[in-house]
Amino acid sequence: MMYNSTMNSDDRPLRREQTELRNGRAAPRVHRWLPFVYGIGLVAVTTLLGLPLRSFIDPTNLVMLYLLAVVLAALWLGRYPAVLVSLVSVLAFDLVFVQPYHTFAVADAQFVLTFIALLSVGLLISTLTAQACEQANAARDQATHTRTLYELSRDLTMVLDPADVARTVMNHIDRVFRGEAVVLLANGRSLEPALDSPGYDLDIDERDAAAWAYRQGQLAGRCTEALSEIKGTYLPLSSTQGVVGVLGLQSVGQASPLTPEQWRLLGAFASLTAQALTRIDLTREARQAQLLRESEKLQAALLNSISHDLRTPLASITGALSSLRDDAAYLDETARMLLVNTAWEQADRLDDFVGNLLDMTRLEAGVRKIQPELCDVQDLVGVALERLGDRLEGRDIVLEVPDTLPPVPMDLPLMAQALVNMLDNALKYAPPGRPITVKAEAAGPELHLAVIDEGPGIPEEDTMRIFDKFYRVQRSAEVPGIGLGLPISKGIVEAHGGCIWAANQAGQGAAFTIVLPILEGTE
Amino acid sequence: MNESGLRVLVVDDERAIRRFLHTSLAANGYAVFEATNGAEALESVVRDRPDVMILDLGLPDMDGTEVTARLREWSRIPIIILSVRDQEDDKIAALDVGADDYLTKPFGVGELMARMRVVLRRIAHPETEPVFATRDLVVDLARRLVRVRDRDVQLTPTEYDLLRVLVIHAGKVLTHQQLLRKVWGLGYERESHLLRVNISNLRQKIERNSTRPEYIITEPGVGYRLRFEV
Repeated sequence: MMYNSTMNSDDRPLRREQTELRNGRAAPRVHRWLPFVYGIGLVAVTTLLGLPLRSFIDPTNLVMLYLLAVVLAALWLGRYPAVLVSLVSVLAFDLVFVQPYHTFAVADAQFVLTFIALLSVGLLISTLTAQACEQANAARDQATHTRTLYELSRDLTMVLDPADVARTVMNHIDRVFRGEAVVLLANGRSLEPALDSPGYDLDIDERDAAAWAYRQGQLAGRCTEALSEIKGTYLPLSSTQGVVGVLGLQSVGQASPLTPEQWRLLGAFASLTAQALTRIDLTREARQAQLLRESEKLQAALLNSISHDLRTPLASITGALSSLRDDAAYLDETARMLLVNTAWEQADRLDDFVGNLLDMTRLEAGVRKIQPELCDVQDLVGVALERLGDRLEGRDIVLEVPDTLPPVPMDLPLMAQALVNMLDNALKYAPPGRPITVKAEAAGPELHLAVIDEGPGIPEEDTMRIFDKFYRVQRSAEVPGIGLGLPISKGIVEAHGGCIWAANQAGQGAAFTIVLPILEGTE
Repeated sequence: MNESGLRVLVVDDERAIRRFLHTSLAANGYAVFEATNGAEALESVVRDRPDVMILDLGLPDMDGTEVTARLREWSRIPIIILSVRDQEDDKIAALDVGADDYLTKPFGVGELMARMRVVLRRIAHPETEPVFATRDLVVDLARRLVRVRDRDVQLTPTEYDLLRVLVIHAGKVLTHQQLLRKVWGLGYERESHLLRVNISNLRQKIERNSTRPEYIITEPGVGYRLRFEV
């Protein structure tokens, strides 16, 4: 719509060249008078061919040769050269074939009729033939136009990124219009190129024109009505969401001005580009909305978990302390120790919870970077067991960690935490008195480290979800702690390029396995 | 358990921590001084002449590493750093500029007292005893002999040097860099695999179970410590 005003201003000089439009591309500038010269040449050739026949063929029949020339001129040279050929043919016929020869004088009046017939048939044929040609050309241009748009729109549906949209559009413009293009997107208050285009000269004047086109939603720059003295032409990229950017073109239509067809094609290019950009925007928004919903769900779970898992130990601690403060007189030594130990254990649990919460947040926010160093697996297991300390009391820990294992690159403090969480999980779920096994083995380029308990195992449908944040197998309200330990183990292991899974043992109990890559040749 | 008369300076900006430490330390017979920031701490070291200092890593005016570095320009006072988990890099920095040990918050008083006894022992006995013994491990530094559970242990020269450095600093954490520098010398600070391999070999020879070591304890992300109770 908005291209019309500009198009009209260029309309008049362009129309004459309309027949030159081939394949939707600006035709090389042809000398306008050349077809007319060819036309005259054609008449000359026809006359020379007819000359030897003049003595034994009736001149009225030789007119047919000129009619053939007119048809050929209309086909090859276009309408107006064909008209010229008709006129020149009449003159040449009179001069060469009608007696007296070599003069425009006509001896026999009947030839006047021949002249009129030759002229009118010549004009008619030239008009009809040229029209047919123009229609064929127009149809071909239309087909090219449609194919070009189809190709652009097909290529644009595949891209997922504004920079790729820009790249696609730039390629197509280069192919179709032989020019440089740039796609400018609104970035805060300024317009920035979605993709660097080294061949494009984007100086301050060009940027101003682009900004004007963006603000006004109208064409600006070369060959338009606004700011036309600069190098580039700027088309606003308008969609249902408003103007989303600007398409800039340079050295397009340099050789000859763009035809209305080409303007329409450019307009369609701009509109397809705008649609593609809008689609990407909307997709991104939808994805963000989805993420937001998920993070809201997670926050709700987090709040629930915090209110339960922070308050429960806190309640035990304040309860024990208040009893010690207020009832000191009635408490014997045993009761006092019991209260103190309760408070201590609960504080320990609280520290664990806060530590895990922080680990998770740091890992997810990318604050804590993995710093891998080669470590012995025995050392890893030792550190984890040391960290568990009192919690292992009375527990039989079976270690199957051979000292022949190769060292494994890992961030020891973090990986130890991953193992602590897995052991802690086994301690919570497996009945006391049953052993917990830590088993490590090298399997090709991988280390398999498993924590195996003899507890009730995991319900089959939970083996995946058990690593989800705040998910806890709802088996027993007696089991303390939240479903945060295993997800953190998973996060830590995955940050090391490994994986973790849970499976039930053939006999009874569950096995949690960490798989870590062993890098060969690092030592 | 009375350390009678030893003076301790507690540097922490949290009132609750200072109060709890003051109470516990006083109950254990220490004379307690308090400072709430780095500047006060430096003043107090000059004025109150404490025997040992407990220093929080995160202070409002400067961090604990800087306090340690400034003190070490003129004082050998034993310094125990208080840190929280996940401050491994800060801990290493503080230890490398001369802090003697660290404790990760939250901690028990028992643990703090044990660490204090270890660092104070150095003041009381500046010379290492020629024969060191802890649990079933005996290291005769004069004769380069190592016995575990009444059996002689054959160590390579490097393993022995490593054990000797750990014994000299028994009970105190040594960072990877400190160990590499003391055992292998300058220029080896980045060769951490040397340390890992020798620690592993040493454990095979002196520990009952390398996975649950009694003597050589890994301080994850920081270094190693020879377990030792005063």
